[in-house]
Amino acid sequence: MSKKMIEVCDVSMRFRMNSDRIMSLKEFVTTAARGKLKYQEFTSLNHVTFSVNKGETLGLIGRNGAGKSTILKIISGIIKPTEGSVITRGNIVPMLELGSGFDFELTGRENIFLNGAILGYSEEFLKEKYEEIVSFSELGSFIDMPIRNYSSGMLARLAFSVAAMVKPEILIVDEILSVGDTEFQEKSRKRMMEMMGSGTTVLFVSHNLEQIREMCSRVIWLEQGEVRMIGSAEKVCSAYAP
Amino acid sequence: MNIPNSSDRPISQEDKESMLRGKRAIFLFFAGYLFLIVLFYWAAGYQLHYRASRGNYEMPTAETVTVELTQGSVVEQTFKVKIQRLMDVSVQWGTYYRPNSGTATMELYNLLDGSLVMSQSFPVAEIPEGGITTLSAPSPIETVFDVPLLLRITSDSQLGSAATPLMSLSTQTDDFSLSMNGQPVEGTLCLAVSGEDYVWTGLHYWEFAFGLAVFLILVVFIVWYRFRHGKRSYVVGAIIAVKKYRFLIRQLVSRDFKTKYKRSVLGMFWSFLNPLLTMAVQYVVFSNLFRFDIPYFQAYLIIGIVFFNFFTESTNMALGSIVGNAGLITKVYMPKYIYPLTRVMSSMVNMLISLIPLLMVILISGLVPTKAYLLVPFVLICLLIFCLGVGLLLAAFMVFFRDTQFLWGVLSMIWMYLSAIFYPVSILPKNLIWILDVNPIYNFVLFARTCMIDGISPEPVLYVRCFLMAMGSLVIGAIVFRKTQDRFVLYL
Repeated sequence: MSKKMIEVCDVSMRFRMNSDRIMSLKEFVTTAARGKLKYQEFTSLNHVTFSVNKGETLGLIGRNGAGKSTILKIISGIIKPTEGSVITRGNIVPMLELGSGFDFELTGRENIFLNGAILGYSEEFLKEKYEEIVSFSELGSFIDMPIRNYSSGMLARLAFSVAAMVKPEILIVDEILSVGDTEFQEKSRKRMMEMMGSGTTVLFVSHNLEQIREMCSRVIWLEQGEVRMIGSAEKVCSAYAP
Repeated sequence: MNIPNSSDRPISQEDKESMLRGKRAIFLFFAGYLFLIVLFYWAAGYQLHYRASRGNYEMPTAETVTVELTQGSVVEQTFKVKIQRLMDVSVQWGTYYRPNSGTATMELYNLLDGSLVMSQSFPVAEIPEGGITTLSAPSPIETVFDVPLLLRITSDSQLGSAATPLMSLSTQTDDFSLSMNGQPVEGTLCLAVSGEDYVWTGLHYWEFAFGLAVFLILVVFIVWYRFRHGKRSYVVGAIIAVKKYRFLIRQLVSRDFKTKYKRSVLGMFWSFLNPLLTMAVQYVVFSNLFRFDIPYFQAYLIIGIVFFNFFTESTNMALGSIVGNAGLITKVYMPKYIYPLTRVMSSMVNMLISLIPLLMVILISGLVPTKAYLLVPFVLICLLIFCLGVGLLLAAFMVFFRDTQFLWGVLSMIWMYLSAIFYPVSILPKNLIWILDVNPIYNFVLFARTCMIDGISPEPVLYVRCFLMAMGSLVIGAIVFRKTQDRFVLYL
């Protein structure tokens, strides 16, 4: 029996939304005084339940605003659900959007350590993997330059290399894989496949159905915060986009 | 988050190792405690045992003369003060603006048993107009607490060359009465009485240290017991968090520090130069404009400047820490307190660098470091904790109300003017002094100034005040931050 790495039990997420969000004290006091502090409830997720087994690659598809990113954020602990609970077993590493953990004044080398620390790797691990990261990124001697001088392709390669060098128990991927030139794209795709093959549990969000079909064993189709369909990649994909 | 539940796991090899490490850490902790207790006893020294008495009587302002103190005249003042160790009794004199001669004698009697407590004679010729003669006890007198005393002043001067003790007509104090040549009169002699009181901490220092040690042992024992039984208490949780995020915190602090002066020519040297330049400017402005009468004004200034700069820098950095890292907070999970914490810590690194110019100024202005300098780290830690608390509070506020940043700019400016950074406390009106007493920054600065300029330990009560203010700030900041942190993401 395979171990359940992620269990999402009956999770609901509701946001309180003002027509325009109040960002200043004065506005808050004046609107509150006038009794116009009305919140509109917006349900982002509505009683979602599913689980992910160890080593599985689960795809998430759905239209914009279906709640894909919200469920990923809840799973990685960034936001707390309004209702329900999430149980995760093992460390979670999100694949960051390009450069969001980078500091542009620092060199590539310093950024590897900074970004690695942010992703939760230990110092020993980073030191051990450092060479591997550099060679995978193909940056060569640029590694000791401040990254503000990097091209966007170089940045993307560095970001991917740091994120992909680990073996997290759970990897969260929100739209990635289109980095660098064709050659690097191919290389990163291979690397992803390798990671998925080696027992890592992957949560994968994409609008590219081809990628989903290729990589995922199981797919969840979210629509307006509810699970519309769970099943094998082929089945769900063809129902989603006939 | 995601901490595996360990309550029903058998004790493994790894656990045994960590227990061994834990035992060693506890041993080091208590060895360190013992060392600090002894070091503190030595460094705090005299001030740990005695403080200026609360019963000190300050000299009233002179309004008129008593009698011309010729041979046979006598001025007698009875009084009663609550001073545990009486040391000095002073009297102010008028000379009629002429050279005088003869000898004046001050005698202090205990009226309960009629004994002479102390006496001393002064050559009248040496007393200037408004001059003060002081009757000093060779060793502090401990038997006259709240006992009626009589000060008798006599002289052998001739008429026309005698001085006169000054008096105040308007001052009336209970248990004080003045008589001239045996005739009681209204008013009070211009006299000052001073001495010391025992401080509770000095009398009971070792008991207190022992009590604290027992308390700490108890806490450690309970934590250890709970840990052995697989329960996680706050303390263990905190230690695990520190271990887990040590590397991340170090990376973030070094990032802040590296990028701060990146691409500036002088780089880190600015941390060094900044307080010096500020001090130079304020010194020129204030020493010319106001002619404050502060000894070692440069040292006085730079201590205030370094402390207050750290306060504004760290709180401003912490204020933007959550909002400024929105990109990360919405994508990676890590405890959110790490953001303000690292900002405050990187400011601390900066402040430690600016301690070098501070020490330079102190040495150049002719002050010699004493053992009291060893007490300064205490107040630095208090300051750090205080700033962290304020930083947490501001960071949380900032998420919900972006006005906080502008408000804080104004507030911190007001705060600076209320902290006696560049003016002496004496220019404040009496009814505003309480503002300084409740102002944590002023208390920290006062602590540092007492150690470094006066070269002595502050009164024990100031330690307690600094510590409580720092802790209060941290507790309030941490509670507000904790209560609100789950909602941060929604407002970023």
